[in-house]
Amino acid sequence: MDQRELMTLQQYLQEYGQQAEIFVQQLQLLENGRMEALAAIESLEDMLTAGEGTVLLQIGGGASVRARVEEPEKVLLAIGADVVVERSNKDAVEFLKERVMEMEASAKKVAETIDRLRGQMNEINKRIESGYQQAMASGEMQE
Amino acid sequence: MNNISPKVQNQIGMLQQIQQQLQTILQQKAQYEMAIREANRAKEEISDSPEDAVMYLSVGTVMMQKKKEVIDAKLNEKVETLELRVKSLEKQEKMLQGKFEQLQGQIKAAIEGKGGPSAA
Repeated sequence: MDQRELMTLQQYLQEYGQQAEIFVQQLQLLENGRMEALAAIESLEDMLTAGEGTVLLQIGGGASVRARVEEPEKVLLAIGADVVVERSNKDAVEFLKERVMEMEASAKKVAETIDRLRGQMNEINKRIESGYQQAMASGEMQE
Repeated sequence: MNNISPKVQNQIGMLQQIQQQLQTILQQKAQYEMAIREANRAKEEISDSPEDAVMYLSVGTVMMQKKKEVIDAKLNEKVETLELRVKSLEKQEKMLQGKFEQLQGQIKAAIEGKGGPSAA
């Protein structure tokens, strides 16, 4: 294996590394979305059983105000494309659960892709290492 | 790079520019396609709702209550506009791809010494 080939392999390794980084970020986004949806499901279910109870509404900066949920059985749900629809609490929970399932399926696919990329990176690493060893042994490379 | 003529160096620069433009176009196309999918999904979602369902549309920083038919029309309009933009980007992509291949051929020919390519 000559030096040019080694450089090409290192370039591939770098590109695969960058791709893996992007997929890891996607996975993080999906996980954040999933956690957010699960928290919303928990809040909606609790609100329904608590009735018109007072909740603490966080307004940022660690500050909260007391707020009363007037209609816990009605939920305004963002369905994308700047559209918000009113749904019953139960339907909203159902919608969010479906979203969680979709995100889990996507996360599984992304995780598989990351695994595949890592496998390919390991393979390239092995080839680079053996290339270096060959070069060192034959005295072609100088440190 | 030292034994490459300034003309070919210039062409390589142009090739890199075209590559960047192509990348920007592809990114924009992907964004528009995602927005189309989102709008179509929202359309499906509201089609399941009753005619008198309460719905809002984000307009700037406020959400305005609109009738289902109005939101449906807005979403159709949005999809149509986005599809037009995607088509326009596809045209640009094709054109740039052609330029890229032409320039690539010229550079290759120049490097291999098969004759002087003319600038694209």
